[in-house]
Amino acid sequence: MHSVSATEISPPPVERIPKTNLPRSIATIAEFQLRRMLTRSRLLVAAIGILFPSAVLLAVGRTAGFPLDRDLAALLIYALIPEAVCVLALLVTMCPAVADELERGTWIHVAVRPGGRRAMLLGTFAAAVIWTVGVGTLALVPAVLISGTNEAMHVFFLMVGLLVLSAAGRGALFALPAVIVPKRAMVASVGLALVVEYLAGLLPAVINQATVSLRLRSLLVEGMGWRRQIPAEMQLLIDSQPASVHVLAVFGLVTILLGTAVVIVEWRQFPPSEEI
Amino acid sequence: MISLTNVTKLYGQVIGVNDVTVNLSKGAHGLLGPNGAGKTTLLGLVTGQLRPTMGRVEVFGERPFGNPSVLARIGYCPAGDIRERSVTPMQWVSYLVQLSGFTRHAAEKRAEAALGQVSLSAAASRPIGTLSKGMRQRAKLAGALAHDPELLVLDEPFDGLDPVARHDLVSLVKDWATHRSLLVASHLLHEIEPLGAGLVVILGSRVVASGPSTEIRSLIDATPAEVRVVCDAPRRLAEIVCRGDDARSLRFEGDNTLVIGTRQAGLLAERITAAAVDEDIAVREVVPDDRSLEGVFGRLVSLHRGGV
Repeated sequence: MHSVSATEISPPPVERIPKTNLPRSIATIAEFQLRRMLTRSRLLVAAIGILFPSAVLLAVGRTAGFPLDRDLAALLIYALIPEAVCVLALLVTMCPAVADELERGTWIHVAVRPGGRRAMLLGTFAAAVIWTVGVGTLALVPAVLISGTNEAMHVFFLMVGLLVLSAAGRGALFALPAVIVPKRAMVASVGLALVVEYLAGLLPAVINQATVSLRLRSLLVEGMGWRRQIPAEMQLLIDSQPASVHVLAVFGLVTILLGTAVVIVEWRQFPPSEEI
Repeated sequence: MISLTNVTKLYGQVIGVNDVTVNLSKGAHGLLGPNGAGKTTLLGLVTGQLRPTMGRVEVFGERPFGNPSVLARIGYCPAGDIRERSVTPMQWVSYLVQLSGFTRHAAEKRAEAALGQVSLSAAASRPIGTLSKGMRQRAKLAGALAHDPELLVLDEPFDGLDPVARHDLVSLVKDWATHRSLLVASHLLHEIEPLGAGLVVILGSRVVASGPSTEIRSLIDATPAEVRVVCDAPRRLAEIVCRGDDARSLRFEGDNTLVIGTRQAGLLAERITAAAVDEDIAVREVVPDDRSLEGVFGRLVSLHRGGV
């Protein structure tokens, strides 16, 4: 056994290091990540995300004529913003949660802080949700105005609600590949989105209960008052439970998915070399 | 303070450290070994980034992996450069201190003090990407010590620094180590020696020697080293070298290179210098052989295995 004694030292009075405050650490990391996102390239991508839905609505309007039909406008806005823009924004913000930190060399500084690992994951999740909801909301304003729907406020607030749930649910879903396969998180997340959200979510089976897309579709149908108009065979693609159940189900999914990701990131070892 | 008992760390089939047992008391310690010896893995185990595959790691009497109460008492300065180039040292250090549990205001005050401690106050508001390597190293160090840890762990802190920056950083770390515990990893003995630290020598994933730096130094000094001399008259120089008793072996490489094996490289260098002046020999280079460091460690391994 090797024992090494160095010159004994008498420590000076050390000011006690405060106990780790997880919410504060999460807020610190979220703020740091948001500041990091304010780069020219990220802002350009965000601008495209904001303008793209309006461009599509303009193109549809030129064919179908303005104002757009209320139902068509709501369906288009839903598909473009709480679905497409939201998923794309999350792919570029949430997926590289760990890999980006490892590549930038910040992970190692944060992982050795008390509670640093979970704060990194949850802070990045918070930043991704804030960024996505921000981009989505900015995209909604011109999109709703361009559609010319006579229920603009109703559609706007319904879509904001769906956007928040979509960002939280999908962000939590993408947290898993981010911690399991950090180097391939983007590809894995695209696969997960396609398989879980857009394949399993459309299956008329119990498995679709565990998807965010079923909850969002059901809330959209509920919010727009489409339930009675939907043909019987399409009823299988939605869930007739009250809106509160869908909202709680999304938050339940977020808790389970993020909880699992936190357990993995706390337990997993990221070797201090380049290979991960 | 730090206790590793039969610790082995495997990365799949690759061995990080192999059956390491070492106890380090409070104070300053150096971890010496060539690149790839397992130093960073050992530091990863101590700083709670890695779990041992076998054995037990304890820091302050507790397991460090996932243990906030241990991590709060450690400051870690990794070997890699800070690649977050757009933030300023002030923002960076303040960010890290906040993650140690301090409020924003307290963190900013501590960051300011730590940057002053590493003489980086003047550059505190410049983006890290515009700083020199030495400044970035100091910013990294400030991030590790700003929350006032009881144990500061530094991985190759002097790597890539010019002599002046190295001297400044050594003074800073030495001063810090007078009142706190320190573990510094390096592949160069002369970087650790001025810290007056106890040494642990690691090679091939195993601890091969440990003890006070003076003991390790005498062990290393007694290890044969090779000195390569490039001059215009290597055979005449060989004759002169043979007159003394500090050369153990001689060999010629090409027409103008003499390689001398010695246990007293310092004395030999002095004699070569004197001979060059007295005998009018044009010496172009006197350099220790590149393999000498590996030789030192190789010698330590053979001593560790009971060799002579």
